[in-house]
Amino acid sequence: MTTETLTATQERARPQPRRLALGSWLLSGYGIVGYLFLYLPIIIVVIFSFNDSRSTAKWAGFTIDWYREMLADRQIILSLWNSLFVAIVSTAISTVMGTLAAMGLERYSFRGKLAVDSILYLPIIIPDIAMAIMLLIFFNVSGIGFEPWRVQFLGNRLAVPYSVIIGHVAFNISFVAVVVRARLANMDRTLEEAAQDLYANTWQTFRRVTLPMLMPGILGGALLAFTLSLDDFVITFFTSGAGFNTLPVRVFGMIKKGVTPKINAVSTLMLLFSLALIFISILLRTRAGDEEETIQFGM
Amino acid sequence: MDSTPAVELCDVVKTFGEVTAVDHVSIQIQDGEFFSLLGPSGCGKTTTLRLIAGFEMPTSGEIRIGGETQGFRPPFRRPVNTVFQQYALFPHMTVYENVAFGLQMQKIDRAEIRRRVGEALEMVHLQGMEKRRPKQLSGGQQQRVALARALVNRPKVLLLDEPLGALDLKLRKAMQLELKSLQEHVGITFIYVTHDQEEALTMSDRIAVMNEGKVLQIDAPAELYENPKHRFVADFIGETNFLPVKIVQLHPDIVVELGDGTRLPAGWAEEHLRVGQEAMLSIRPEKINLYEERELSPPNATTARVQGTVERLVYVGTDTHHTVRLRNGDTIVARLQNFYVEEEPWEVGETTYAQWDAAHARVLSKE
Amino acid sequence: MQELLRRNPAARAWALIMPSLVFLLVFFVAPLFIVLIYSFLTRGKYGGVVWQFNPENFQRALDPLYFSTFLRSIYIAVVTTLICLVLGYPLAYWITTRPPGQRNLLMLALMIPFWTNFLIRTYAWLTLLRTNTGLINVSLMSLGVIKKPLPLFANDFAIILGLVYGWLPVMVLPIYAALERLDKSLIEAAQDLYATNRHVFLRVIWPLSLPGVVAGSMLVFIPAIGSFVTPAILGGGKSLMIGNIISNQFLAAHDWPFGSALSTLMMLVMLLGTLIYFRSALREGGGV
Repeated sequence: MTTETLTATQERARPQPRRLALGSWLLSGYGIVGYLFLYLPIIIVVIFSFNDSRSTAKWAGFTIDWYREMLADRQIILSLWNSLFVAIVSTAISTVMGTLAAMGLERYSFRGKLAVDSILYLPIIIPDIAMAIMLLIFFNVSGIGFEPWRVQFLGNRLAVPYSVIIGHVAFNISFVAVVVRARLANMDRTLEEAAQDLYANTWQTFRRVTLPMLMPGILGGALLAFTLSLDDFVITFFTSGAGFNTLPVRVFGMIKKGVTPKINAVSTLMLLFSLALIFISILLRTRAGDEEETIQFGM
Repeated sequence: MDSTPAVELCDVVKTFGEVTAVDHVSIQIQDGEFFSLLGPSGCGKTTTLRLIAGFEMPTSGEIRIGGETQGFRPPFRRPVNTVFQQYALFPHMTVYENVAFGLQMQKIDRAEIRRRVGEALEMVHLQGMEKRRPKQLSGGQQQRVALARALVNRPKVLLLDEPLGALDLKLRKAMQLELKSLQEHVGITFIYVTHDQEEALTMSDRIAVMNEGKVLQIDAPAELYENPKHRFVADFIGETNFLPVKIVQLHPDIVVELGDGTRLPAGWAEEHLRVGQEAMLSIRPEKINLYEERELSPPNATTARVQGTVERLVYVGTDTHHTVRLRNGDTIVARLQNFYVEEEPWEVGETTYAQWDAAHARVLSKE
Repeated sequence: MQELLRRNPAARAWALIMPSLVFLLVFFVAPLFIVLIYSFLTRGKYGGVVWQFNPENFQRALDPLYFSTFLRSIYIAVVTTLICLVLGYPLAYWITTRPPGQRNLLMLALMIPFWTNFLIRTYAWLTLLRTNTGLINVSLMSLGVIKKPLPLFANDFAIILGLVYGWLPVMVLPIYAALERLDKSLIEAAQDLYATNRHVFLRVIWPLSLPGVVAGSMLVFIPAIGSFVTPAILGGGKSLMIGNIISNQFLAAHDWPFGSALSTLMMLVMLLGTLIYFRSALREGGGV
């Protein structure tokens, strides 16, 4: 190649620096607008939870009255306890079952694996409204019904329908299995062989090597299940029968009745819960020393 | 000394679906031996090692360790320990916990564990590193932890799967010598898997060369190099010249013929070869000398000699590689030591006579 | 038993999977089949069903009254997906142009809204869009920009806006992942071979990011077609989607077979979408 063609190449390859700069400014501006679009509505909800008026559109001064009112509302407090109870129980069950299933599916190949895989992943892709309807009919038809589990939970008397817990476990198993499986797939299998080589039997290998290595995945899966369970509205709404509210179901009822800053206050509370969970998951991830760049969101 | 082999493989076969990874392998490894499995990647050497460790179960055949048949015994019931290729140190445990792991699993009492872990770490010069995590160690240090973790159990046999593969060249050389002296010190049988022929030659008492699942030759390093019994072995270990020949005579002496009718004596031929068959004559380049016509002695039955033209000279420091084009078109390389700097070297285009001792020439089958 | 588990890996696998499998067979697969069966049965007088074969449910679903809602749902889901793509692609691209530390932070910042409750995020738009009391109309009117409130609420616009807002992050995520994986030397190679910026994008960047685009589109399309909360809140009772019609069959009309038939049709649309997704993913040869 001669010098002339070389320069020609360079000139053709490099766009005008001015245009490039303009383009990247535009792109950055767009990016910032994009993030504003994502955050502004939420921030406005939080702001108006402190509004000293029934309006969520006109600012009328600062107050925390709506929070007082929220805390005085027995229904809201009860639905919060319901939410927590359902989330804890369904998370515990689905974490154990999902983790076991992940190990079975990731570590072995056997006939019918594809079918099992499909069954396990279908609850993730199916729209929640379809799953909710399926469960609603099923609980009616099977005679399981919407019997409540009467239980004392941290000093609160709750009546939580078994159907709700079952519904939550049904969609959470899959999510836990996906997360744990991803962790398993990344795990170096020779570590387990090394343990076996060092006289650890199958159980000891699991207990001393597999489980500790898997822990971040299991905790991540549990956290995801907990978050999904706390956030779920549709499946709870359709599987709870009459009179049972989790916090989202309660909020939906309130929205249907009319917008007040009290809903903003409850929303802010739920937002804080979400932020706390995200914070915990970040802590978990950094402690696990993972350098995965994508933020896991359950798909 | 008892004569039971430390490890014995009898006609072992391992297939994965359609693929035969280990193909009727029989090996006897003596107590205290440094034994290497050498071959290119995919030759079945690692699978053989994993069969001994118990990570894989043989499709057929038998494996005995210290005279005991292993059958389907899981790895944790076998008196062998492994040093893994990427070390497989438990990342969630400290160095101490890693080394102590095997002893804890064997329910050895605490004081004893403490003592033995200390000894093991001292042996690999890692005292004071007990509290560190594997991630905080260099590659060489991790390697030592892996060694200590295996040796602390005082296994009958130590299995090493390319343990130096991840280290850089200089460190690898140093570790080779250290491993060898460590093995002599502890007196444990080492079975060492590697694809690096130089590494195997340096360290081993005996080497099994494997290719495509089969063991081709088991011998001491010098024997393997000087007297390869298989074309693959001659080719894989060191460098060699292959000349296509036809076998003219096998008894009492071996005589082969080049394409142009030049007859050459040879020292050894594979047993199954017959007169009239096509074969390969293998001669190591350093066994060949080049002479001018006036230097030649009268021909005799123990010296092979071919005429050719010097085609290329490659200076590589200690030697110069002389490529000689023979009259029939084949080339051979002679490696001449640069003994005298001032000596007149050969020039390209000169006529030369390549000559070697017939004992160094080996007739190997074409495949 | 223990011996069997030790010797037979398949038996061990089944033992591990069994709890989840049985649970999902009973509480997921069985309900799925019940819905399929119910969609061919006759409605009972007081809710419930009569065990009598009845293909009319599907015929009724094709009745313009319902079918138009069906088509509208597909239309809304497709438009939502396209808008998410158009908005999300440059956003993902912008993130990849940032330094690595910032990139992770931006991705985290992207997912935080996604992890806040969907209901709350929809409610946020309710407070913004409502016709007479929404923040946007109230503000614009008090500023004198407009005289009459804009029709922002209780229509397809509101629903699409709510859905785009809700699902934009899951469009960005896979596209970002695809762009991030893209070998930067490919771009340099294209530039070296005389490609202009436009051609670098069209011939190299876009084709290589397609698996991410396809994945993101599915992640938006499937929940969008099954929307229930968004139309229920932002549709203002006027603009409905198929999810609301289905729920009405169970909560108000007590016509389970018809509701089941509609659910079945919705799942069929979803399945069709997924098949198209897998086919195009296979065609692109990308491991999505």
